[in-house]
Amino acid sequence: MDSSIAQKTWELENNILTVEKPDPSSDSIFYYDEAAQAKFQQEKPWANDHHYFKRVKISALALLKMVVHARSGGTIEVMGLMQGKTDGDAIIVMDAFALPVEGTETRVNAQADAYEYMVDYSQTNKQAGRLENVVGWYHSHPGYGCWLSGIDVSTQMLNQQFQEPFLAVVIDPTRTVSAGKVEIGAFRTYPEGYKPTDDPISEYQTIPLNKIEDFGVHCKQYYPLDITYFKSSLDCHLLDLLWNKYWVNTLSSSPLLGNGDYVAGQISDLAEKLEQAENQLAHSRIGPLGPPRKKLQEESQLAKITRDSAKITVEQVHGLMSQVIKDILFNSVRQSNRSHNEQSGPEPMVEA
Amino acid sequence: MASSSSSGLTFKLHPLVIVNISDHYTRVKSQMNPPPVTSTSATVNGVEPLQQAPRVYGCVIGVQRGRTVEIFNSFELLYDPSTHSLDRPFLEKKQELYKKVFPHFYILGWYSTGSDAQESDMHIHKALMDINESPLYVLLNPTINPAQKDLPVTIYESELHVIDGIPQLIFVRSSYTIETVEAERISVDHVAHLKPSDGGSAATQLAAHLTGIHSAIKMLNSRIRVLHHHLVGMQKGDVPCENSLLRQVSSLLRRLPAIESEKFQDDFLMEYNDTLLITYLAMFTNCSSTMNELVDKFNTAYDRHSRRGGRTAFI
Repeated sequence: MDSSIAQKTWELENNILTVEKPDPSSDSIFYYDEAAQAKFQQEKPWANDHHYFKRVKISALALLKMVVHARSGGTIEVMGLMQGKTDGDAIIVMDAFALPVEGTETRVNAQADAYEYMVDYSQTNKQAGRLENVVGWYHSHPGYGCWLSGIDVSTQMLNQQFQEPFLAVVIDPTRTVSAGKVEIGAFRTYPEGYKPTDDPISEYQTIPLNKIEDFGVHCKQYYPLDITYFKSSLDCHLLDLLWNKYWVNTLSSSPLLGNGDYVAGQISDLAEKLEQAENQLAHSRIGPLGPPRKKLQEESQLAKITRDSAKITVEQVHGLMSQVIKDILFNSVRQSNRSHNEQSGPEPMVEA
Repeated sequence: MASSSSSGLTFKLHPLVIVNISDHYTRVKSQMNPPPVTSTSATVNGVEPLQQAPRVYGCVIGVQRGRTVEIFNSFELLYDPSTHSLDRPFLEKKQELYKKVFPHFYILGWYSTGSDAQESDMHIHKALMDINESPLYVLLNPTINPAQKDLPVTIYESELHVIDGIPQLIFVRSSYTIETVEAERISVDHVAHLKPSDGGSAATQLAAHLTGIHSAIKMLNSRIRVLHHHLVGMQKGDVPCENSLLRQVSSLLRRLPAIESEKFQDDFLMEYNDTLLITYLAMFTNCSSTMNELVDKFNTAYDRHSRRGGRTAFI
């Protein structure tokens, strides 16, 4: 059957590793070993190596909570804290909770009542059996991508001085809904004055024009970590069963309707960027033997714009495909019926 | 315990609650049963160490609008085994904390794990009645049964029934639906099927998106087949004729086509055109970018200003 061959080719191309179904004994990640954690805190292996933590493991629960909280904020930035532990060079995030702080660009740190909240919440959690400590903070950048702004960088540098080990996570709920996949990034900053020896290759993402300066100035001061997710065996089982009821939501979701504003914003942003690129190109025409480096930059700017436009288009086309499929499934009955009888549509009966 | 509720309330459950309860249970269970230090110790015994299955308790919060009860979130509670009740000051503290962050949510009830509702649970249920006059009891069955097809979550309500002349409160089961917001759905999907998280090529994204829709349609198809099979059986006479089922199927069929009006067609085509327009613009941008690169390369290769009238050879 060629469909199975196609699937195998696809899996090979994308290095999909089939994870074995976790059995109950592998739920050991949920066990909190107080002694080992205390020992790790004392050793502080991260003090010498600024690139020590390389990976992040996020639990299904933490991810769900963070995304739902970020989305509930709408266009306002929200923030919260994450609880978990460390494991060698990985930080493990077990849970997350929201903080009652309204984020604005100028707020540097959570205010005093947020600290109170945090202390209260941690205490009650410890009583209820959640023994882990706070290992990081998360906040949302609705619509403008997963990266650390200048304020975020200074906050995180402060955190990394006094509350190690600490992690910064950024979620973009608008792009998540638009793209159909979770937009999330985990970062750690370098201390002041440290220059990384090699340039980390990070995934390209489009940044709106009004934020691009902020992004550019600080992008070398932090590095992204790899994110993987894990879930317990019970979670696995429940999620599988959930699919039996869930497929209805997948079919009925209509991303086009929900994100009209965001897409319009993106397109106008692209238009502005194009204008900028055009101006730069016009200037370079004056000197025919201009330095080759300048030309490279303009080219890459136009290429970036092309990539952005391709991304938006792809998302829109996906949304439209869903709509068309639904239309065919549920609306085209009429066409075949019309040839049979002349009756006008009967009104639906009240359900028994 | 009666088998169906008659209160007329519709319940909507968010997947976050289910994952929350499952995580609480897994956590408590794994703290009670620390993992073996080395793998050899387990095999030497030849028998797996007894896993205790603890019962965990907690509170569910959400919104009630009219007759619809929507359960959004949940948090853990402490159970006091000596008094067989939940720790009240703890509950109030937690409620305060959650009110700060989610001001719209009210306490709707409580949850627990186990295979069936027990008599002692009624005690806890009554204690919660002063916060909410008709609390819910959500029960999750944590035993993993691979043959199970249905979600092991049941919602119970309490009803006053007269049994043996004495009015008593008993648990009655209610049905519920799973409700979600788009962001929740995407993250559940992400974790459940571990879709490729990086951008990948356009082909991978397309494949992922279409696979999702394809599985949903497959489910729809299989469900319709089951119904069809049942109806054919009824027609043949193998299965006793059930009028209520027939009425439901008939009304379902009459709902198709879903929307049929001029205005819908117009809007739909407009959306279609908008998307095509975006595709056109993107194509344009792509073309002009490629053109630009070509022209630059041409200029670099055939440099007109360095040699008059000549063409430099390029390698």
